[in-house]
Amino acid sequence: MNPFSYNGGVCVAMKGDKCVAIASDHRLGAGRLTVGTDFPKVFEMGPALYLGLPGLTSDSLTVVNKLKFRVNLYELSENRKIKPHSFKAMLEHFLYEKRFGGYFIAPVIAGLDPDTDEPFVTAMDMLGAGETNEPFAVAGTAEESLLGLCEALWEPNLKPDDLFETISQVILNAVDFDCLAGAGATVHVIEKDKVTTRTIKTRMD
Amino acid sequence: MFMTRSEYDRGINTYSPEGRLFQVEYAIEAIKLGSTAIGIQTKEGCVLAVEKRITSPLLEPSSIEKIWKVDEHIGCAVSGLIADARTLVEKARVEALSHWFSYNERMSVESVSQAVSNLAIGYGTTLSRPFGVAMLFAGIDHRKPQLWHMDPSGTFIQFDAKAIGSGSEGAQQSLQEVYHKDFTLKEALKHAVTILKQVMEEKINSINIEIATVTPENMYHLLTPKEVEEVLTLITEK
Amino acid sequence: MGHFDPYDDNGGTVAAIAGQDYVLIASDSRLSTGSTILSRFTPKIYPLSKVTVFACAGFHGDVLTLVKQLEIRMKLYVHEHGEEMSTKAMMALLLPTLYGRRFFPYYVRPIVAGLDREGRGLVASYDPIGTPEFFDYVIQGSAENLVHPFLNNQIGAKKTLSDVPIQAPPELTLEKAVKLLKDSFLAAAERDVYTGDTVTLMAITAKGTETTEYQLRRD
Repeated sequence: MNPFSYNGGVCVAMKGDKCVAIASDHRLGAGRLTVGTDFPKVFEMGPALYLGLPGLTSDSLTVVNKLKFRVNLYELSENRKIKPHSFKAMLEHFLYEKRFGGYFIAPVIAGLDPDTDEPFVTAMDMLGAGETNEPFAVAGTAEESLLGLCEALWEPNLKPDDLFETISQVILNAVDFDCLAGAGATVHVIEKDKVTTRTIKTRMD
Repeated sequence: MFMTRSEYDRGINTYSPEGRLFQVEYAIEAIKLGSTAIGIQTKEGCVLAVEKRITSPLLEPSSIEKIWKVDEHIGCAVSGLIADARTLVEKARVEALSHWFSYNERMSVESVSQAVSNLAIGYGTTLSRPFGVAMLFAGIDHRKPQLWHMDPSGTFIQFDAKAIGSGSEGAQQSLQEVYHKDFTLKEALKHAVTILKQVMEEKINSINIEIATVTPENMYHLLTPKEVEEVLTLITEK
Repeated sequence: MGHFDPYDDNGGTVAAIAGQDYVLIASDSRLSTGSTILSRFTPKIYPLSKVTVFACAGFHGDVLTLVKQLEIRMKLYVHEHGEEMSTKAMMALLLPTLYGRRFFPYYVRPIVAGLDREGRGLVASYDPIGTPEFFDYVIQGSAENLVHPFLNNQIGAKKTLSDVPIQAPPELTLEKAVKLLKDSFLAAAERDVYTGDTVTLMAITAKGTETTEYQLRRD
């Protein structure tokens, strides 16, 4: 069985005008069996920094804890909040440490630069190879559906409300096509000094 | 007349010097010994009516079949050698079903006639003689109700009304006199049994005739003896 | 000794939308094998009659053979029955045609689109062994996973929670459908390397057939 699709789940992030959004579904599966319907895969790593980790759940949770540890250490020694760019570098380095026998995860990062408020979005593979020049990032069992929807629905300079609508439509219609993802979704819209978290309904089958 | 035929009427695939196929002509003659069958096409649907010769009081009349269902939308009345007819009707059924299998639509009456005709003219490969039957295909396809006639030569032609069998000459004459394009189905039924009654040797009753209708509403329907009786009241009432 | 491998995947995407009084078929024109582009202009749309069109992605050799077979069946039908095969009949015919090769299938992803006898749009899609699906919009080929949810979003699932059968709404005009398929192929060409170069849109209405072409990414 493919460890990337054993537990199922998706994550998508996209840039807006001085804002950024990240969303994940709520399903937790064990193969074709659904064992949980309240399992978002997005984790808060800072005031305006979120990490989505679809993939093998045990690896995701391990990675989140290990990263939290490194972020805390970074912020104590640097005495400042970590920036999305630095966090991405940290994650890449962390993942590549396990070049042989890595974590079965597909990370997505969304955040705002604390100095410039510049939106930041990236996705990378399980070894930390990422791409930062895209306006959206997708990962998980409905990757292709998410990508096609982002490509068709996303447009530049979306305001927070429109960004929420767009990312919601993207994740809703993508998980409807994927039996390994769904059971609702959580959407975070990150603005300067404000994060709006909403839960949206999807099909439950 | 028969003198000239004697030399060339054995081989089933041999023309006479005058260009005739005697065996086929004999087969057509054989039809004229068969029981009479009438078909009428109207705008509302088609009617098939045949006489059944009850040759013995000990015979079970319902075991004589001269009208068959080909498919939901097509019926077939025959006159001549019934054993041959069964072969051809089987062919018609297989073709209609095969068309449905391929195209998921009803085969047209014309195409069913064409398919049966292909078998009928190919008698040389399957049979040592031409098929001794004439057939009336009555049905409804996406065009409209229609009636087709096929004879042992494989010729198939569309008719408004057609009679085959022993009484066919008189019956055809009568049909020509009464037929009208605006016939209702009921009128067609009435004329069919009236004419059948005229050409039958036995006295007509619900046992010694068979009637079928093909309508857009009910498709192919072979009338029950009770329904046949109701049709017969149409001609006895006045 | 080489292993016998008679199949290739030449990529490409085909799609169709059926409306109340029209049907719209689209295909990109790229033909590729692996990372090589074999042709930049081979639209995979094949008219079979005035009102029926066949479109097909997959292995192009099999596509061409299948198209020829269907063309032959159409011609024979006209000879045998005196009229063109209806769109519904062609949709029915494709099932036994594909299933007849159940154990050595044509590697194809076909669509049949056309008007029925009443002038309404009809669309059907098939898997390589003939399983049909009848929807009002379909997409097949290398970008189907990218585009299908988008069409679902724009046409089918106005409400995502709805369980009703997916049906194109009457207000989906031909103009709107053209715009949707154009956008779909632009999006597909952006992310799917097997889809690109140009997109051919063929609209069939009672008035006739109209074909238009738009440029897509060529990289």
